[in-house]
Amino acid sequence: MDVLVVEDDARTGELICAGLAARGHRATLVATGSAALAAMERGRFDAAVLDRMLPDMDGMEALRELRRRGSRLPILVLTALGSVTNRVEGLDAGGDDYLVKPFALDELVARLGALHRRIAEAPAKIVIDELEIDLLSRHVHRGGRYVPLQPREFDVLALMARNVGRPITRKMFLEQIWQIHYDPSTNVVDSHVSRLRGKLRSSGQGDPIETIQGIGYRLCDSG
Amino acid sequence: MALLGAAIYIAAHASFVSLQDEDLAKQTATLKKEYAEGGRPDLLAAIVKHARSPANSFRYGLYVDGRAIASDIDAPAQPPGVRDFVYRDARGARDDARGVTTRLPDGSLLLVAVDSGGLERLDAVIITLFSLALGVILMLGLVGAILLGRHLARRLDRISATAEAIAGGDLSHRLDVPSGSLDEFDRVGASLNAMLDRITGLLEELRQVSNDLAHDLRTPLARLRSEIESGLTAPSDAPSLRATLERAQAQSDSLLSLFGAILSLAEVSAGGRQFDFVEIELGALAREVCEMHAPAIEDSGRSLHVSMSQEALTIRCEPALIRQAISNLLDNALIHTPAGTTIRLVVQPAEHQARIIVEDDGPGIPEEDMQRVLKRFVRLDRSRLTPGHGLGLSFVGSVAALHAGSLELESARPGLRAIVLVSRAADASARSNRSWPPVIPASASPLPFARPS
Repeated sequence: MDVLVVEDDARTGELICAGLAARGHRATLVATGSAALAAMERGRFDAAVLDRMLPDMDGMEALRELRRRGSRLPILVLTALGSVTNRVEGLDAGGDDYLVKPFALDELVARLGALHRRIAEAPAKIVIDELEIDLLSRHVHRGGRYVPLQPREFDVLALMARNVGRPITRKMFLEQIWQIHYDPSTNVVDSHVSRLRGKLRSSGQGDPIETIQGIGYRLCDSG
Repeated sequence: MALLGAAIYIAAHASFVSLQDEDLAKQTATLKKEYAEGGRPDLLAAIVKHARSPANSFRYGLYVDGRAIASDIDAPAQPPGVRDFVYRDARGARDDARGVTTRLPDGSLLLVAVDSGGLERLDAVIITLFSLALGVILMLGLVGAILLGRHLARRLDRISATAEAIAGGDLSHRLDVPSGSLDEFDRVGASLNAMLDRITGLLEELRQVSNDLAHDLRTPLARLRSEIESGLTAPSDAPSLRATLERAQAQSDSLLSLFGAILSLAEVSAGGRQFDFVEIELGALAREVCEMHAPAIEDSGRSLHVSMSQEALTIRCEPALIRQAISNLLDNALIHTPAGTTIRLVVQPAEHQARIIVEDDGPGIPEEDMQRVLKRFVRLDRSRLTPGHGLGLSFVGSVAALHAGSLELESARPGLRAIVLVSRAADASARSNRSWPPVIPASASPLPFARPS
């Protein structure tokens, strides 16, 4: 994945780029809004990370300008402001996702991957090994057998299936399935995943869901 | 005042002069009648008779060819008409008079006059009275202004002394406000005192929060530092170093979550218009939150019972905040109770409000701690070992306040009952198409744990 990182704090920018590189992505770092717009004119990127506070212009302004020029580049907005209103504003301006600083690099990378995927394809049916997920009828079959799932269990599985092979963080589950942007103290996500696991296991061989310690879960495509 | 005096003076003078002129005209007419009836001899006889009458105040003169042939006033002949003139009185002094001169058919001039002394005395009386009144009023005004000025200065001095003391750092100063009837200053004083009380309260709260924050941040920061220190000093093999780093990461995560809680509490407490309120059906939203928490609660060996009002309860709210408030209460009920506890969530109407109740049959909290746990960072001793930062209930309280409602705690005998009241939408029938939730999948089935009670 080619990622443009727009971040004025040099150390943060380097850490993000190093983190992306360590996970096999190419990262380009720019520090200003105008440099970001110029870089997007020249190069081809798969996704961008945009800091809200830039020295020359507000990140939201850069985002609006980019969308005005017709770019459909998936953009993840970074901010130190975590309030409900700021998040809504960020998404209104044309951001695809919103991440509050400080964040875990795994969280950032997982979200970028999901963004890239979400834009790239939107199939009606996903087949992973013996697992068959129909996103329209919301039916799941494993090895040809129907697996009855609760609506939220289906959403959890569908989110992982759309990003098969990539980790989905707990935060991503909470935001995309329950639209919540805070951390409940209890293990809401883990409990749902454990139920989903139980149901998938009882209708097939092995556990297709892998736990990634401290980050979240991943659906494996050959397990 | 002086203007009023002048106006009265002019009006009184004019009306007196016009009365005098009327009298002169009448007297002249009487004499002319005498002349018409009996010629000059009758006229002279009438003049003498009038002049001798004790009640008479008129003076007379009859002039032929400019010389007086009969006169009791020492003045030259005047041209016909009404005019003021000067004459010599008995002592030979000049004096003012006003008279009417008429030409009789034989060419002689008849003068009927009055001394102006009466008018002058009246004018003098008016002027004197007004001058006195003006003087008295000016004196009273001056004295009043000085007294009022002293009084105001004294009152203002007290206010400014209080303000200076407060500016000097002593926030305990207050203005003296007597009980009972209040004048304007007392009312200003009372509102200033109320403002000072509010400011003191806010500062006290701020100080409390800073202290608690310092305390609550110091502990995890100290732990984080010692984890890093032990990782740096202990003989390091990769697995133990990794374990140390993971512990350090967990510490910093808990710090970050504390920060997040403080920030969102601050955002909600500040209130204001930054929230975009929409109308939602509370039952649907509460059901959604329960659905989210149910598996975790059941996995922990507790049970969740949900009871929703039959009536649709529309409220105007920021759905994310209501959701988080309910979520906090469910979290609390799970964290602070032993396994086997039954947790109940009830949503019901209450006049113009909607009531959200989360209760459990766990150990509850002592009556004397009910109010205390609503405050920021307050954690009861027995919950020191459970996760959390002591901001959950403060957040719920602030969210309720933002929605014109309240949070109350009471004993559920046994257990704890948290009651959140939020105001209902004014016109529930005017529900817009922005109602929440936006989409419920067609396959959504009744929740297994939602048993009506």
